[in-house]
Order: sequence, then C-alpha cells, then structure tokens
Amino acid sequence: MKRYVMSIDLRRCVGCQTCTAACKGANATPPGIQWRRVLDIETGEFPDVRRTFLPMACMHCANPPCEKVCPTRATTKRADGLVAIDYELCIGCANCVMACPYDARSIVHEAHYAYGDTPMASEAARFDPDRIGVSMKCTFCVDRIDLAALTGQIPGVDPEVTPACVNSCISGAMQFGDIEDPESNVSRLLAQTQHYRMHEELGTEPGVYYIWDQS
Amino acid sequence: MAAVQPKSVKHVPTYCYNCVSGPDFMSVKVVDGVATEIEPNFAAAEVHPAKGKVCVKAYGLVQKTYNPNRILTPMKRTNPKKGRNEDPGFVPISWDEALGLVAEKLNAVRAKGLVDEAGLPRVAVSLGHGGTPSNYMGTFPAFLAAWGPVDFSFGSGQGVKCVHSEHLYGEFWHRGFTVASDTPNARYVIAVGANVDVTGGPCAVIRHADARVRGYKRVQVEPSLTATGACSAEWVPIRPKTDPAFLFALIHVLMHENGLAKLDIPFLRDRTASPYLVAPDGLYLRDPQSGKPLVWDEVSAAAVPHDTAGARPAVAGAYRLSQAVVVDADKERREYRDVEGKTAYEMLLQHIAKYTPEWAETICDVKAETIRRIANEYLEAASIGETIEIDGKTLSLRPVAVTLGKSVNNGWGAYECCWARTVLAALVGALENPGGLVGTTVRLNKSRDNRHLSVKPGEDGFMVQYFNPTSKEEWQSTPSTRNLHQTLVPIVGHNGAWSQALGPTQLAWMFQGERPDDWSMPMPTLPDVWLVYRSNPSISFWDTRHLAEVAARFPFMACVAYTVDETNYMADVLLPEATDLESTQMIRMGGTKYMEQFWDYKGVVLRQKAVEPQGESRDFTWITTELAKRTGLLDPYFGAINKGISGVSPLKGEGYDFSLDPASEPASEQIWDAVCRAATVTLSEGREEHDLEWFRENGFFAVPMSRLEWYLTPTMEKLGLRYELPYQERLLRAGRELGRRLHEKKMNWWDEQLSEYTALPEWHDVPGRWIRNLEKSGAKIEDFPFWLLTTKSMQYHAGGNAAIEVMHEVAQNLRGHAGVIMNAKTAAGLGIAEGDRVEVRSHIGATYGKASLMQGIRPDTLVIIGQFDHWATPFAKTMDAPSLNTIAPMSLDLTDATGSGADIVRVGVRRVEGMAA
Repeated sequence: MKRYVMSIDLRRCVGCQTCTAACKGANATPPGIQWRRVLDIETGEFPDVRRTFLPMACMHCANPPCEKVCPTRATTKRADGLVAIDYELCIGCANCVMACPYDARSIVHEAHYAYGDTPMASEAARFDPDRIGVSMKCTFCVDRIDLAALTGQIPGVDPEVTPACVNSCISGAMQFGDIEDPESNVSRLLAQTQHYRMHEELGTEPGVYYIWDQS
Repeated sequence: MAAVQPKSVKHVPTYCYNCVSGPDFMSVKVVDGVATEIEPNFAAAEVHPAKGKVCVKAYGLVQKTYNPNRILTPMKRTNPKKGRNEDPGFVPISWDEALGLVAEKLNAVRAKGLVDEAGLPRVAVSLGHGGTPSNYMGTFPAFLAAWGPVDFSFGSGQGVKCVHSEHLYGEFWHRGFTVASDTPNARYVIAVGANVDVTGGPCAVIRHADARVRGYKRVQVEPSLTATGACSAEWVPIRPKTDPAFLFALIHVLMHENGLAKLDIPFLRDRTASPYLVAPDGLYLRDPQSGKPLVWDEVSAAAVPHDTAGARPAVAGAYRLSQAVVVDADKERREYRDVEGKTAYEMLLQHIAKYTPEWAETICDVKAETIRRIANEYLEAASIGETIEIDGKTLSLRPVAVTLGKSVNNGWGAYECCWARTVLAALVGALENPGGLVGTTVRLNKSRDNRHLSVKPGEDGFMVQYFNPTSKEEWQSTPSTRNLHQTLVPIVGHNGAWSQALGPTQLAWMFQGERPDDWSMPMPTLPDVWLVYRSNPSISFWDTRHLAEVAARFPFMACVAYTVDETNYMADVLLPEATDLESTQMIRMGGTKYMEQFWDYKGVVLRQKAVEPQGESRDFTWITTELAKRTGLLDPYFGAINKGISGVSPLKGEGYDFSLDPASEPASEQIWDAVCRAATVTLSEGREEHDLEWFRENGFFAVPMSRLEWYLTPTMEKLGLRYELPYQERLLRAGRELGRRLHEKKMNWWDEQLSEYTALPEWHDVPGRWIRNLEKSGAKIEDFPFWLLTTKSMQYHAGGNAAIEVMHEVAQNLRGHAGVIMNAKTAAGLGIAEGDRVEVRSHIGATYGKASLMQGIRPDTLVIIGQFDHWATPFAKTMDAPSLNTIAPMSLDLTDATGSGADIVRVGVRRVEGMAA
C-alpha cells in the first residue's frame, strides 16, 4: 500500500508564490489558472494582527467529493493516493468544480494567452487542445510520479520524480512522500511535528498536512 | 497530454542575478529549441546556500524571452521632439546603422575631449538595481574602462533610495557595505523595517525559515505588517521615521538600566574606541609626541597611548590628565594642561541618559514597557561569555542582531539608526562575531571579493578608510561629476563607478533644473551622450514625471533595451539585447555577498545561451566589441579584458596565459572561453582548467571556503585594530572641514546636511523635516494627514520585470498588490470600501489605485507596494497600479549628509470615480 501525501510547514512559508509560478511553468496552465496558489490571510484587529500564508491546491483526498459527483468516472482515485482526471472521459459538466471544498478545480473553455490573442513560442509549444473544456487541477505532477515507478527513483527525494512545487519551494516548507512508509521524509517530519488537515470535518481525508509547530 | 514526442529535451544550467540577492542557480528546460520551464539546478544543492533554487521572479524568464512586446531589432527615433506626449516614432534599422549612430556620437566626444568645459564627463552611463546589470552586460565594463571618464551620477534610485547610509557607514565601521544577521546562529533579531523574507532572496528565506524552526525570535518593527512581519514572532507598529528614538532607547536600557557589568567589557575595551579619552571640546585627547589617542591605563593609573603594550584601558569614567593635545579640523592643534578626559563610553553613557523608553514612547508610538522588554530580551539572548568553535578556532558567540531596512537606513535619521544598531552590537560583543551583526562585502574599498583584505591599519588604531579630501589643498571644489560626490560626501570615497553611484544622484537630476542661489561652482552641463541599460529612472526614482522631462532634454541617448519604457521613450537609438536565457557570461559566486549570501564555497558560475536570441537581438558582449571597434578602442578594451575587468581573474598570471590578442578581434565565445579557463586555474591554484564547453555542461566551479571568513572580528584581533565606535571623532572633523571649504566658497546650501556630522548622534525631529518641506512649498499639513510608504514584493523586487504577465498574475495573491494599502478603520472613516478607486495626493502630484483594506497597518499610514505607475512599458502600463515615486519629491531639504533620501511622503487620500486623469 502506498499513499503519496504532501506536508506544508506553515512556520516556513513566506507567501512568495514561487510554488505558484513553478506549477504554472511545469504544467503550462493558461493565464488566470493557478493549480497551486498561496493565500494571504489576515486575522485580528490592529495592532493585534496575524497574517498567515497558506499554500493551497488539490488535497488528493482519500475520500474525494469530486469523485462521487463525476458522472463519467473521469475523476478517479488511484491506488497510490493521487486523484486523477482522465481528460478523454471528462465532459466538462463542472459538478466536481462545485463539489470540491478546497476550490481546487477549474475549467477553461477557450484558449487564452499571456499577451493578447497570439501564443508565444513557449505557449504554442505546450498548447494541448485536450485541456480545453475539461476540469483540471493539481495532479501532484503525475507524470513524474509515474516515471518513478519505471526508474525506481523516490518521489520526495529525487527531484526528477518530485512535484515541481515541492522542488521549487525556497523556504523548505514543502515535503512529499509516501505516508505509508514510516521512514519517508514526510512520515518522519509528521511524527516530529504538530499538524492539521483542512476541512477534515467534511470527511474528505485530505492528503495535505499543514505543520504548525514541533511536537 | 500532447501526443507528439519532442525530438530534444535539454536542461541548461545557468544563473539568475536579476536582483541583489543573487546569484542563484537555475536550469532552463528547452524542448526542441524552445525554453518551456525554469527549474532549480539541484547539481548546485551542496554549494549554494539556497540549495540550487531560484525565487518566483526567475520563473518569469520564459515569458521574458518570448514577450511579444520585446524590441527585436535596432531602432532609431524619427520624431526629433522628446517628451511624454511625443511618440518617439521608433523605426527598425540595421545593426550597422544603429552602431554607426552611437559610434558617431562617441567619436565626436573623443574629438572634442572626454571632459567638457565644466569639468564634467561628456559621456554619462546609467545602470540600474544595485550593480546587477553587471551580471548581464558582458564585457561592457571593459569598454567603460577603456573609454575614460564617465559620469555615473544620473541615478535611478540605486544608492540614495537603497540602504544608502548602511552602505557608507556600514562599510566604514565594519566593512559591511550591506549588513545582515548571522542567521544560522542567531537567537534574537530585531528587524527595523528590514523586509528580508521578501527582499533577501532564496538564501535569506531558507536561513530564516530554518531559524524559525530552530526557535529563534525575530521582532519586526515597522509601520505595516509586511510578509516578513507575518513570519515574525512579534510585530511592533512603529510610527514612520521615528526609528532612531526606538534604537536610542534600547541603548539607554542596556547602558543605564543594566550597566557596564552586564555588557561585553573585553569587546568594548579591546575592539572599540570606548576607552579613548575625549576632551571637553569633544575631540580625542592625544599624546603630544605621537598624536595617538590616549586611554586611561588602570594598571599604571596614567593616561597612555591607546596601543601601549600591557595597558588595561578603562572603559568607563572620567580622568584628570596633566597634559594632552587635540587635533581639530585642518590639523589645528590645541594643547591642554590639567584637563579632564571622559572615555568615549562615558560620553555615550551621558549622551544616552535622556533617551529613555518613556521619552521614546512619545516619539515613536511604541509603549515604553515594550521597548524595555525588547532591550532586555536582546541583552539576555546575547549570551555574553558564550563561545563557539568554527573551523578549529574559538570565537565569541553573541546570537543577536538589529537589522535595518530602507526608509530606516536611508534619508534623514539613517545615520542615527545605523550608528545605534552598530553600537547595540558592540555593547554586547556581537559586532562581526558568530550569531551577531555581520557585514557582507565592500564596494568603496578594495578588494571586492574578500573584505578581509581591505582591513589595513590606519590612523588612531582603526582601519584605513579613504575619505574624499576636505583639506584646503585637496578638496574637490570643482566637481568631477554631476552629483558632486567627491565634493560633498567625504565618506563615499573614490572607487570609480561605485563611489559615483553612491553619491547624491538625485542632485544630478535636480541641478539640471534649479541650483541653490548661493551656487558658486560651474553650471552643470548635460552629457553629450547618455547610455542606459537595465535602468528606468523615470519609474524608479522620485518626482518621476518631472524626471522624465529632464531626461527629454538630453541631446543623445542610446539604450540597450528590452521593451520600450518610460526612460528610453526619450532615446535616439535602441539596441535590442539578447536577454537572460540568450547570452553568455561568467561571474563570481560564493564567499559573502549582499543580503544573506553567506556561502561555504567560492567559485564561478556561467550564464549561457539556452535558446537562440529572438529576432535581431544580440549578446551584449558582441555589442560592446562592436562599439570598441568603431571607436578605435579595441586595444585598451581587450587590454582591460586581459586584466580581468568584466571577467573574474586576469587572463594572464603565474603559470597561465589565456590573454586575448586585439588584432584577431576575438568573438564573444573566445572571450568567455578565456575567462572560464583563467577563472578555474586561479580558483584551483593551478590544479584544474575548464573551458567554456565544460561550463556549458557543468554550470559552475566551486572550491571550499572557511566559515571563519564570515566574521571580521578575528581579522581585527589579528591586526590589533579597533572598530571606530561609538564616538565619531573623524566624522566630526570631516564635517567641520567640509563646512569650512563650502563657506570659503560662499556656499551655505549644504549647511543643514553638515549638522549630521556629530560625534554622538542626537534625536532631531526626523518626521518633521518632511512636514516642513511640504509647508515650505505652500501646502497645508492638514490636507496631507497620512504617511505614505512603500514596500517590496518578492515578485517585483527590482521592478525590472514589470512587463511580465505571470508575475502580475501570481502577485495578485498577495494582499494589496498593485493597490493602496490602508487601515480598515481609517478607510471606513473616509467612506472608502475595499476595491474602491482612490487618489493618493502629495503636494507635488497624485497617483491612483484600488484601496486594499487591512488591519496590519497603522491608521496613519498608507503603503503602496513596488514601483509602478507606468505609462510606456507594455503590459505594465495597463496594470493601472500606483507608485510613491510619482508623488515623492526630490528636494535638498530631504537629502541627508551622505546624499540619500527616503521613500516616504505626506499624502491625502480620497475615493474617486473612474480611471486616473
């Protein structure tokens, strides 16, 4: 049994959006679409104010609400914990967009480019018509995870098979790995720290752990 | 995913050094010749403090390359009129014609004379952001060296708008052109306006993140809750520009409420000038024979020269001396008999007595109990007496530091703040010791790659420091640059372009318009030729609308350009640059450098062509060689390259010779190949030699370095030198001499600045200067009830990527970006709701943006992130984003003694409808 999860150490995150930009680069998301983004949240009243940075993306839930509402079974949970979308089966009904309590999904109906109507060479090189009119979200860089299965490299340890956001994180806030393996980086870190998962009360069993203090 | 498999996929190693926090490593993924992604370069993970990673800005470099708004051919201006409302009429021309136009103007200058009738260089060059253009301009520095006198004083904000006073005083006091906390060992950091988690790049971010997890405490003292404040343990919302009062009160708590016995007595006694005896007239009491400052020797109960072997100088107290001399300005000597001398520490103790936390509370709006608690926490965390072993040597461990940010360490009040925080370090022995306050590099002294080499014994037991002369015989009464740097600022020195760029660059702009009534020097001329690269003063300086009008009057301007922008809108020729991913250069990396670049290695890193240059854009090295050829300067140009200018090491040295022959006109590739070889031979001390091909594959070359190089105090100990603290006798005398020289020329317009030359800085009404400046213009303070500040975002740190769409997109995730941040309660009182369009107006103009309401900001303060308000730069001009720079004035009143100003202005704010006028 394997379950890939992510841990995000909120003590480290500085809200820089490096992961936001790295994800866009790795996944060629169009303008306005961010599969990962860092929220900037303020609480309190002057002068007792708290400002928190919260990286958000698909939680790759063990009990994903998106899977339940998908009429075509385009969205499925894999054995390794990733929640995947088969674009060929997706009809773009947006049930999943509405069902996700983490606002992780989006649908792009038309091609858009960064500067006007014409794609830049980098956009043209990566344009994929299969990604128009379908639901999309963070995939945990599924191509890299699948590559690991072939090469024997370890996601979360070897950069080539680790999600782009985790690789890019300059504060070291993000870790990735198999939570079913007690020796993985992520398992050991979670054992040493206090952490929570978002909206656990909804029963989604999310696969992203937010660390907030040492044990 | 797309079904077509690519024919080739490459990962090309290179660096990013677009901002002062670099260099950082990255890798460019190139698929069938198209750059598609930026990624970290994990091959560098072991040598790079940031583990091979780059920050968010670098991820925009793919868009930078393929931006359809790029200038891709040389252009010439067809509209002879210049101005914001004059379309330049740029038309494409050939490289031959473009280079010919520039060379023609340069050759005309060579024929007329490099320096004009006013004694000023006919060629001016403006380069942007903190020296970073050097990382992208190839061999251009070699051309400038070959050329001769160049005026670098038309600044774009570097220096005076940067950590200016920290640059000058930091380097003076402890070879810290920039100053950092020794974060990996720190336990307590007081950051006064220092937004290091935003501006410090990947190296600073990982250091502070590790420190947070380790349990250090950072207290963030600033008027708004920046991202750094968000990641700090405590936020102290201080009133703007009152930071000296806060810092003085911290000193007071340490010295008066704790006392000398709790401070680092050995450090004060042996490493600072605390024991130096001061006469009632404020000058050091000196030995009549040797002229050396005297100390009171507790062993012999007598006054002896400071370097007397076996003496044990008293740190505190007042002592009676039978005879001594003082040396005042212009070497005027006075003799004293039966005179009381107080130690410099004693002088400081008495001076700081009035600056209590209760007093400071009334000035800075921070509770006295908070100030007192922070001071005591600092003292306790300093752990006086603790040691640490580094590379086999035992050093003092003093894990506390006070760091400063812009608008605190520049402009009025900055001298006071820089002095106070350095004194706070000295009092607990944390200055240049592990865990404490450490400098990074030098730029006014040589050697820029190893600040330890610049530590040489000078006068009075201190380090040698070159001051621009202020003696009658040698003072530069006719300025050699348009910012008068050697005339007005002794401490800025004479180290070429750096000293110039650190002079009062706003004066260069201002004095093209009006000069003071009592100006008695030659009238400053306009340069015949103005070359600009990676610099947009019409956006990044102050009073930018007016600055653009001045720029429009320059007779000939050529710009190595990326897109059209607000400055090159006035250009005559545009030369399209092959940008970051399209060109070749080798630079140094490692050692210790700006922000928190503290490495365990030093070496070199290559930037290489990952993709072919777009359109007709060309590598800057090619452009430079062409200019050298067309101006008959090939020999001195290659001579400079052979000496190591633009590269890393001289191309010829002991046991190697890769020098280039000008007659063969080496191409860019050959130049950088020679640089690669010379660099590796010198770094490896002859053991290895690697060529350009090797670097294209491997990316960098590094050799280990001792962490002892991070700390200057061991070097000071070895040389028996003291830090020139706390008492600023040399500055006092320099100011007196400068005043005399200016007054001899009947000039009083710099008198207010002369008041900063104090031996022990005083509090003066710093915020009041901005209010008086406003009132002097005829405006009423009631109409401008708020302080406007600016701060940075990591996405736009230097603003040079304002044209990049993805940066704008990701920056929108941060509150207040591209808007006007204001306190929610204040906004409610003014009838302003979230997202409302507002006008922010100063006494010189207005800027417009969307209100962003926050709790994390003082009710009397507004903040505009970054510097926008573009009107020419494609994409940026559509952002409709405001800027402090549009409405902050350039003014002599707001210029301090070192020549800097600060990003702060009084404003009014109101809701408006529709788009900006």
